Amino acid sequence: MLAFIVFVLSHFLFEPPHSYSAWRGWALSPSVSIATAVFFAALLAHAWVGLRDVTLDYVAPRLARLATLSLIAVLLVAIAAWVVQILFLSRG
Amino acid sequence: MKFSIYRFNPDDGRQPHMQDFEIALLDSDRMLLDVIIRLKAEDETLSFRKSCREGVCGSDAMNINGRNGLACITRIFDLKEPVVLRPLPSFPVIRDLVVDMSRFFSHYVSIKPYLVNDEPPPEKERLQSPAERDKLDGLWECILCGCCTSQCPSAWWNPEKFLGPAALLQAERFIVDSRDRATPERLADLNDVYRLFRCRSIMNCTEVCPKGLAPSRAIEMIRLTMLSTAR
Amino acid sequence: MFFNLLQIQMPVGALTSITHRITGVVLAMGIPFALYALHLSLDSEQSYARLAQIASTVLFKVAAIIFIWALSHHLLAGVRHLLMDVDVGSHLPAARRSAWLVNVGGILMALMAAVALF
Repeated sequence: MLAFIVFVLSHFLFEPPHSYSAWRGWALSPSVSIATAVFFAALLAHAWVGLRDVTLDYVAPRLARLATLSLIAVLLVAIAAWVVQILFLSRG
Repeated sequence: MKFSIYRFNPDDGRQPHMQDFEIALLDSDRMLLDVIIRLKAEDETLSFRKSCREGVCGSDAMNINGRNGLACITRIFDLKEPVVLRPLPSFPVIRDLVVDMSRFFSHYVSIKPYLVNDEPPPEKERLQSPAERDKLDGLWECILCGCCTSQCPSAWWNPEKFLGPAALLQAERFIVDSRDRATPERLADLNDVYRLFRCRSIMNCTEVCPKGLAPSRAIEMIRLTMLSTAR
Repeated sequence: MFFNLLQIQMPVGALTSITHRITGVVLAMGIPFALYALHLSLDSEQSYARLAQIASTVLFKVAAIIFIWALSHHLLAGVRHLLMDVDVGSHLPAARRSAWLVNVGGILMALMAAVALF
């Protein structure tokens, strides 16, 4: 994930996109969009582990804990779906 | 020297409260324990544990100006006034500075703090080379005073399920002991989201250990051992 | 039992650790917003222009600075964690130094972002 952030930041530093179409062309190119998708997959998995840990520590009652963990899982899956939609399913 | 000491007596119906004391220091006073003992001569109801007075029994562990330590090896000249004394955090208080250590000890017992070796015993001893014995340094010196575990946030949030730095350090002491044969079982027992893995390497334990030990590093070593022996 | 967090001393490593946790939660809550910004930037010329407009507001810039602080601290603390896991810098003096570096580093990055944005 760190490598991806460095890659994106350096791209902005050395080749800032000048227009909407330049930006779109770069961001949605096959290599960049797949790298972005992998980044988000790693990010959401990372977020799950982190938020699960916080929940395990601070939410003790079993039912509340189950509800919280399920809610977090659902939200993360929804975000994953949204990422796919933004990167791959928007109109050509 | 001014003191503010936590007082609680379950029999008198009062809430825990802080009581102020003031006492003139004598030339013979060196450690905090020296002064507390003289304070008790003035107020006999003040309760605390003490025994060896030299930092090896762990009885007088308490929270001194916010930081856990042993009263008998804490120099009074190092302390800011008023000296605030409280019992070890998050342990049930029996009375004043005396806490209930049973949960702490039951975690210790649960890691099987004894050599497990079913091989027939040799004539004299189970031998161990000096190099193998060196691995126990930094682990055997633990006096089970409780300073580390009661300063650990993960132990605060999960006191029943997380073993705490002391028990985990002792687990590592037996895992690296070359005479022990139960390493796979020990590791499997610790491999649990709660028992070991609540540890976040916050390192409060290593900060306050009065014997200068590093439970956080011992826990790290257990994790690395788990990784290298996985499947 | 005695358990007043305000009266228990927090060493520097403990501060780094709890901030690592707090920044993690802040970042997680920021993911939907970041994703929305990505969506706006890609959807159409109009949404791109709208994003550019939002990005020039003070509110956005302040939020961006907070986000950058959170990301920097979380990232630095995470790397510190990774190194300690492989036994680099896990002895107390080194651990205290690295904790300081992380705490200060995060704030420095936020300050640089503030200068760049304002």
